[in-house]
Amino acid sequence: MAAVSGLVSGLLKRRFHWTAPAALQVTVRDAINQGMDEELERDEKVFLLGEEVAQYDGAYKVSRGLWKKYGDKRIIDTPISEMGFAGIAVGAAMAGLRPICEFMTFNFSMQAIDQVINSAAKTYYMSGGLQPVPIVFRGPNGASAGVAAQHSQCFAAWYGHCPGLKVVSPWNSEDAKGLIKSAIRDNNPVVVLENELMYGVPFEFPPEAQSKDFLIPIGKAKIERQGTHITVVSHSRPVGHCLEAAAVLSKEGVECEVINMRTIRPMDMETIEASVMKTNHLVTVEGGWPQFGVGAEICARIMEGPAFNFLDAPAVRVTGADVPMPYAKILEDNSIPQVKDIIFAIKKTLNI
Amino acid sequence: MRKMLAAVSRVLSGASQKPASRVLVASRNFANDATFEIKKCDLHRLEEGPPVTTVLTREDGLKYYRMMQTVRRMELKADQLYKQKIIRGFCHLCDGQFLLPLTQEACCVGLEAGINPTDHLITAYRAHGFTFTRGLSVREILAELTGRKGGCAKGKGGSMHMYAKNFYGGNGIVGAQVPLGAGIALACKYNGKDEVCLTLYGD
Repeated sequence: MAAVSGLVSGLLKRRFHWTAPAALQVTVRDAINQGMDEELERDEKVFLLGEEVAQYDGAYKVSRGLWKKYGDKRIIDTPISEMGFAGIAVGAAMAGLRPICEFMTFNFSMQAIDQVINSAAKTYYMSGGLQPVPIVFRGPNGASAGVAAQHSQCFAAWYGHCPGLKVVSPWNSEDAKGLIKSAIRDNNPVVVLENELMYGVPFEFPPEAQSKDFLIPIGKAKIERQGTHITVVSHSRPVGHCLEAAAVLSKEGVECEVINMRTIRPMDMETIEASVMKTNHLVTVEGGWPQFGVGAEICARIMEGPAFNFLDAPAVRVTGADVPMPYAKILEDNSIPQVKDIIFAIKKTLNI
Repeated sequence: MRKMLAAVSRVLSGASQKPASRVLVASRNFANDATFEIKKCDLHRLEEGPPVTTVLTREDGLKYYRMMQTVRRMELKADQLYKQKIIRGFCHLCDGQFLLPLTQEACCVGLEAGINPTDHLITAYRAHGFTFTRGLSVREILAELTGRKGGCAKGKGGSMHMYAKNFYGGNGIVGAQVPLGAGIALACKYNGKDEVCLTLYGD
């Protein structure tokens, strides 16, 4: 009897070998596609227009499959006239629709910046609250690979400067999907600054992100990595570089707190201040040019707020080089913040 | 003196009944409607254009005249206020007094006569007349021009940024309103409603 029970308990103790289900990996491109698809399905008034968004499936394939699913009425190919089609999108928004206006890159949005700022951003205020403009401007922003000066500018500072606009800058897939959905549902003009080099990068998609109502609130930053020695604030692709730098420094005993801003305007200063008050050091990292940039604004606001008294060293900005983006690879690589630049800035701030 | 005599005579004649024959003679000088010939327009992607004759009834005529007079007087007053520096910044008017002789009240009134209130209209910066014909009151317009919170945009818009239902301003950047108007028309087409958007440009 004892032998039998021993055998049974032995059998019961053995479990079948099992692995955890593979986490769902979704690229940033697919996340944006999903977000737009869900919003197009949810609300009849949402539509997408831009160059190559329909029949070509999107210049960067972000709108793949949408034209096949929704047709000509809701996915509209436009001629190469940003000022024209951005104006049309703003007019449609004024008349009650909810357009998503895609710029092939934000460099081309300069052609249409009058419509974005003067016709979209300022209108709700100028009309005394009578005329909302529920539009989303989206597209890749910032440096790509080898596309040189006229195609590599970062517009976070330019658009972040303007009252009346909301500006978001997603880093990973979760950010991309949550922010594009929030942007489409927002009744204000929202500029979504994506990144071409991030489109193909897969990230783990948590279960809540797979829901059709997954939203990330605009105006809230996320602490990607907890730390105690220094606060590193960034947005878009450089967030990845910051995390890499943090991993390297962790081996040396320096724990960095990495904050992913997610939203440029309205900026989540509470999260940044709370972190600086904890760590006493600040480094900002961005891809754009230094003068009047996102980092400059963060530093100014830190000085104006309670966190200033907690700083043990001046805040340092790591930015793109103050030149039009060069073409040669070696020059281009050295014109955007690299992991080594971030590590250098952190060590300089910490005086190690 | 002359005025007093005229007033006295009016009072005295008003007291007595007018003979019927005199009334009939008086009414023979007024017509009840008028017919106008309209120049034939060039057509673009249309089979037939608007009619080449139209009839204006007395009622409509008086209504339009009243509207035009209101716009004229409002613009003249705005001009005066602008010269007194009570209206600041830009003040582009429909009347004949500011810069060039531009008596444009008829444009606003005539366009409004041709469309329904459910149609849409967008124009450039010379917008006061259209703001009135699209439904706002003179009070709201003048309050906006003088920067008061009773203005249609609560004083935050000014001369060039007045909005009303189905009226999209008032746009300061020359030419910006053209694609905006196309966008509004796209929305009309998208919604499947039988509405038109008038987009105005060129002074």
